[in-house]
Amino acid sequence: MGVISRGIKNAFRNTIRTVSITFILALSIAMSLVMLLALKTVQAKITSVKSSIGNTITVSPAGVRGFEGGGTLLSTQNATDVSALPHVAKVTKVLNDRLTSTDTNLVSAIQPGSFGNRQRTRSGNSNTNQNQQNQAPANFTMPVEVTATSDFSVVSSLGISSLNFTSGAAFDANTTDNVALVGKDLATKNTLSLNSIFTAYGTTVKVVGIYDTGTTFTNSALIMPIATLQKLSSQTDQYNSFIVATDSIDNVDSVSSAITNKLGSSTVDVVSQKDSSDQAVQPLQNIKTISLYSLIGSLVAGSIIIFLTMIMIVRERRREIGVLKAIGSSNIRIVFQFISESMVLTLISSVIGMILGFIFSNPVLNVLVANSENSSSTGGGGQFSGGGAGGGGFVMSRIGGGLNSARGALQNIHAVVGWEIILYGVLAAIAIAIIGSAIPSFFIAKVRPAEVMRAE
Amino acid sequence: MLKVSNLTKKFRSGDTVVTAVNDISLTIPSGVFSTIVGKSGSGKSTLLALLGALDKPTSGTIDVDGQNISKLGDSKLIKYRRDRIGFVFQNYNLIPNLSALENVMLPMEFSGVGTKEQKERAGKLLDQVGIADDKQNRKPGRLSGGEQQRVAIARALANKPKLILADEPTGNLDSATGKIIIGLLKELAKTEDTTIVAVTHDDGIAEEAEITFRLKDGHLVR
Repeated sequence: MGVISRGIKNAFRNTIRTVSITFILALSIAMSLVMLLALKTVQAKITSVKSSIGNTITVSPAGVRGFEGGGTLLSTQNATDVSALPHVAKVTKVLNDRLTSTDTNLVSAIQPGSFGNRQRTRSGNSNTNQNQQNQAPANFTMPVEVTATSDFSVVSSLGISSLNFTSGAAFDANTTDNVALVGKDLATKNTLSLNSIFTAYGTTVKVVGIYDTGTTFTNSALIMPIATLQKLSSQTDQYNSFIVATDSIDNVDSVSSAITNKLGSSTVDVVSQKDSSDQAVQPLQNIKTISLYSLIGSLVAGSIIIFLTMIMIVRERRREIGVLKAIGSSNIRIVFQFISESMVLTLISSVIGMILGFIFSNPVLNVLVANSENSSSTGGGGQFSGGGAGGGGFVMSRIGGGLNSARGALQNIHAVVGWEIILYGVLAAIAIAIIGSAIPSFFIAKVRPAEVMRAE
Repeated sequence: MLKVSNLTKKFRSGDTVVTAVNDISLTIPSGVFSTIVGKSGSGKSTLLALLGALDKPTSGTIDVDGQNISKLGDSKLIKYRRDRIGFVFQNYNLIPNLSALENVMLPMEFSGVGTKEQKERAGKLLDQVGIADDKQNRKPGRLSGGEQQRVAIARALANKPKLILADEPTGNLDSATGKIIIGLLKELAKTEDTTIVAVTHDDGIAEEAEITFRLKDGHLVR
């Protein structure tokens, strides 16, 4: 029997002690693993959230808010100028319009309600009779919003957080065909289905897809190819806004300044989501900090457990160590025997600890996220989301949509266990075993073999 | 083959210096069963520890087959103990979670002997000391005191030592079993051509020895 096999055998010498130590150590290792998983998962989420909302800048004509205000729309040359700036990764061009009852045969799926009528009244298009201000004339309908984007992958440019098709599919963003995607509420209202035809801008338009965004406002709208919308609405080479993505959240401020300098502060309004992103990920940063300190604490606890266990075992077997030395064993050989014993205890605990860690990682992470959400700020985005006719506008709804995405990201965190985590767990267990038995080894070296000559 | 010259060992106990072994000189030929007799505190266990290189003398020399072991460094002492000396202790000091066979194999493992050879020799030694096959795989807890001491003797013989040191080998045994053990040691001294030095306070055992040394207060007395 060799020194390692003797050490392995010694690990099971005292069943009750072995079970107790293994259980306690397994709990410590499970906690370490849970915190390590939480740390890595949350870090990945922070990076994802920052890259999805934190690094975008919205450029709109100075003085414009949706269909309110004034100013000169942006041009292709403006887009080219912005694209050429350092740290600009992508420029997505956006154009919006509204179809009234004279522009289209479509009827809006949105009822005016008190808000819609109030906006209509304040825009001077209603009966000024005080008694009739909050009542719609029989023939009034809400306008149908139309949006176009140069890049479907940037869904926030459409003022939405997700685009799911119930039938059909998206068209090529560069096409000039008279085609459109119709929101499901609008399609239902106008009995439209795939390949249906409706009229807009004095021409026919074909439905190539019906979508669901999850909100009433955008489900009552149209999406058209940008070149088609420019042509039909006589807004050639014009855009309502650009969504500019930077290569890193760290460059958002510098790119915002560069855009303002390039296009002129009197020409454009530049708004970034960096501060909103920082606010949105703050709860995640808190979880990350808690996870890191808990991980360190768990590793220290595990090391202390195995250290004290080995100290106890070495003291208990002092005489046996003396006998081994007396019959010719070297200190190194005895130390290896105890390291083997320590390693067996730690590895068994690691297997059990990892199983427990995998089982409890998501529930613990959910508790951490829930507690962080309760203390996180929910201001900012809510007031900008959606909006009825006029007023709110697409620019603000895009910001609101982005922030809502961030809060959604906070909620959708799941720990994923990979081989890397398992490898970290095994390496940590080995390190704990070696460190835990290193100092007891010092005591082993101090045992004098002459001590065995004295009877107990 | 064992020659001790002016051996002294002093211990510090607080502010006091205790001389456990005081200027001892003796010679023991090879293949002899000898005893060192003395009352408790006479220094006999300390002398045995010095002879077995478990401790270093304060002064003097110990020659075993011409080799002065009192000047060896720690690593050489370990090798010396492993290859040249066997120990038999009063309370057997067998490893409790190893079988009788595995206990006897231990010193051979430390010497780098192959596992197959370890097992063969260990089995033969246990047969030689009277441990039957069916008991060779038992752990010490399932053996009687006499059987455990036999296993300890077999372990001491594992690496064919030139010197076996026995510290009160019958101290925990009844008189009948003790006599059997002493008889075994005497026989082995001859058959294995090994020098055996047994420390005891029992004059009855001393009478069985070919040579007896008496210790009193660390001195050798005639």
